[in-house]
Amino acid sequence: MTVTAAFFYLFAGITVASAIMVIAARNPVHSVLYLILAFVNSAGLFILLGAEFLAMILIVVYVGAVAVLFLFVIMLLDVDFAELRQGALQYLPIGTVVGIIFLVELILVLTTYAFDPALLNLPAAAERQTGVTNTAQLGSVIYTKYVYFFQLSGLILLVAMIGAIVLTLRDRPGVKRQDAAKQAARTRETSIEVRKVNSREGV
Amino acid sequence: MPVETTASGIPIYAVPALGPALPEIIMAVGVLALVLYGALRGERSTGVVTAAAIALMAFTLGFVLTMPAETQITFADAFITDGFARFMKALVLIGAIVALAMSREHFRRAGIDRYEYPLLILLAAIGMMVMISANDLIALYLGLELQSLAAYVIASFHRDNARSTEAGLKYFVLGALASGMLLYGSSLVYGFTGSVSFPEIAAVLTEGANPGVIFGLVFIAAGLAFKVSAVPFHMWTPDVYQGAPTPVTAFFASAPKVAAMALAVRVFMGAFLTIVDQWQQIIVFIAVASMFLGAFAAIGQRDIKRLMAYSSIANIGFALLGLAAGTQQGVEAVLVYMAIYMVMTLGVFACILAMRRGGVELETIDDLAGTARTHPGFAFAMAMLMLSLAGIPPLAGFIGKYYAFWAAVEAGLVVFAVLGVIASVVGAYYYLRIAKIIYFDEPVGAYEPMPGFLRGVMAVSAVFTVGFWLVPAPLVAAAGVAARSLF
Amino acid sequence: MITLVHFLTLAAILFTLGVLGIFINRKNVIVILMSIELILLSVNINLVAFSSYLNDIVGQVFALFVLTVAAAEAAIGLAILVIFFRNRGTILVEDINTMKG
Repeated sequence: MTVTAAFFYLFAGITVASAIMVIAARNPVHSVLYLILAFVNSAGLFILLGAEFLAMILIVVYVGAVAVLFLFVIMLLDVDFAELRQGALQYLPIGTVVGIIFLVELILVLTTYAFDPALLNLPAAAERQTGVTNTAQLGSVIYTKYVYFFQLSGLILLVAMIGAIVLTLRDRPGVKRQDAAKQAARTRETSIEVRKVNSREGV
Repeated sequence: MPVETTASGIPIYAVPALGPALPEIIMAVGVLALVLYGALRGERSTGVVTAAAIALMAFTLGFVLTMPAETQITFADAFITDGFARFMKALVLIGAIVALAMSREHFRRAGIDRYEYPLLILLAAIGMMVMISANDLIALYLGLELQSLAAYVIASFHRDNARSTEAGLKYFVLGALASGMLLYGSSLVYGFTGSVSFPEIAAVLTEGANPGVIFGLVFIAAGLAFKVSAVPFHMWTPDVYQGAPTPVTAFFASAPKVAAMALAVRVFMGAFLTIVDQWQQIIVFIAVASMFLGAFAAIGQRDIKRLMAYSSIANIGFALLGLAAGTQQGVEAVLVYMAIYMVMTLGVFACILAMRRGGVELETIDDLAGTARTHPGFAFAMAMLMLSLAGIPPLAGFIGKYYAFWAAVEAGLVVFAVLGVIASVVGAYYYLRIAKIIYFDEPVGAYEPMPGFLRGVMAVSAVFTVGFWLVPAPLVAAAGVAARSLF
Repeated sequence: MITLVHFLTLAAILFTLGVLGIFINRKNVIVILMSIELILLSVNINLVAFSSYLNDIVGQVFALFVLTVAAAEAAIGLAILVIFFRNRGTILVEDINTMKG
């Protein structure tokens, strides 16, 4: 019990602290890094609650995709010229701090889990008794009972795809692109012209 | 409920009945086909995709109208179709068809006629149909987001125009905040009632509501107030209406308003009817504040799209008064009001889209000056629509307001009905001012000839507005049937 | 002993921080988008905590779809932000002001 409580306060404390830093940081890149920290710690909380699948999704989707998307856009927009020009090294300390905290937590979780797995499954005990894992539980309903929501979220992602493309993709005239069909369609007749060149006169 | 459970404890479910959701399925399959066609053909396909999208929505509209009126529930209680859903879906589809058909000419002139626009309208329409048929909190959220995300994109569809992108950005930021509040409220309601399904929430709440549920309800009300653009969450409306391309504004003012209103009815009448005392005061406040703000803020406006934004805020206030009644009459009033409002709005926007001179869009109300002499038909239609929005009897707008006030009085909200009448009188000032500009000011110059479809929409809308009091029965009867299906 | 109340309090703090981030932010729009992500995170914590304590999987299903939609929302928000930047050359909050009335 006390170990669970300790983990809760650890994860919750860091989540709140990094959430404060997300909105307080002067540099947007720092904000994104703190956002990642907040998400990683929330994933820890989800594991405490017995929701392993969502914890993994949170890390894969948020840290892996959404946060990286944020970083891309910040770099793309070149928001703060003065600060960005000082070089990438300035993000090293903050990146290191985020990384170390994440690592320490990972080690703590893994080692505690090795000592006593029963410590971590406090609220989800009932689910464990049925012998069905959290992932299997979710998997057994989202394609069957909740197939409607699954299809709807597919449409939402389609909107996101169409929207992002229609807003940002530009066909710039004058950009040279490779056209495989055109290349394959070239024949000797269309590409080579044989001319008789008289000597001393040039082409 | 699972049909059986496997040895390892995995439940097995029966295939859900697809029949009740066939209109949505038809739309979704159609969208996917059109996405493929558009992606393969490129920009040349805009005309075909637009026509096909209109045909698809028209077909779905016909299908919806032929569906039986009795209540059917499917997809693990997440989807409900009944008389109410049929009425609202028909309205939404009509609004989307007209708004899309009005857009083509305008977009071609602005050089932004891309095939993605009809696709996004179709996807938004699916989202609105899901909202109307939502019977649990997850369906509510997903439908709302499907509609909203498509709306953010089309608000900034004129991507090289600073105003359009600014409108999109404002709409997105405030819309996402509203979705967040709605979700937070939903999570509390789920936690404190133990269910996301509206009927089950209603069943739990018959034993009284604990503070957690009330708290959640307030957040949900705030999120919904944003989506219908009611005070105090109306700030985005004028900027988005002004900044978005005009056909997009016409769309925003029509179908999504109707769908959001339908969603509010589903939530408050479906899930929270048993605790009507708890939310009635909130809705009444929102309604009265919207009516007054809409009326007063509109007075100083020169831009006609901003004016229509404040007009929509005020109109939503009157419709919400019907909802606040919390009775079958109230729902009937909401349905009648929204139907009339949508027809009037589409008519006004057909007029606004026709205001062009020398290839330039005209946007201020001074550009309407003296049109009675240059374009008598246009001037008459615009003036009638404005008087109707003002609620001058016997025009359609008056009848809509009459139903809303009547429902409020029957429910004992006499004071607020009187306040509504006062707000309506204040609001009449600026509508009458426009009528005055049209008829008595010196003409500035003639507009370009009006495209045939816009002329048709304007004429139908004006005839409906002027002649509605002669034959109100079909609409009122349909609204009555639809409202009865909820109780 | 960690109870439901602990998780709800945490979610409430995060929600408040997210809303605060939107209203007190005077610097740039990207931080506003991140505040929205914080709000959605707080909702997810709420949902998963309720799901766990009610021993009801629906809350986690809800949270899963909230995550999906949040990713879509971030994509669209950033796309709109990019075209806004292309037009105006700024993402400062005080520069979103061409329309008044």
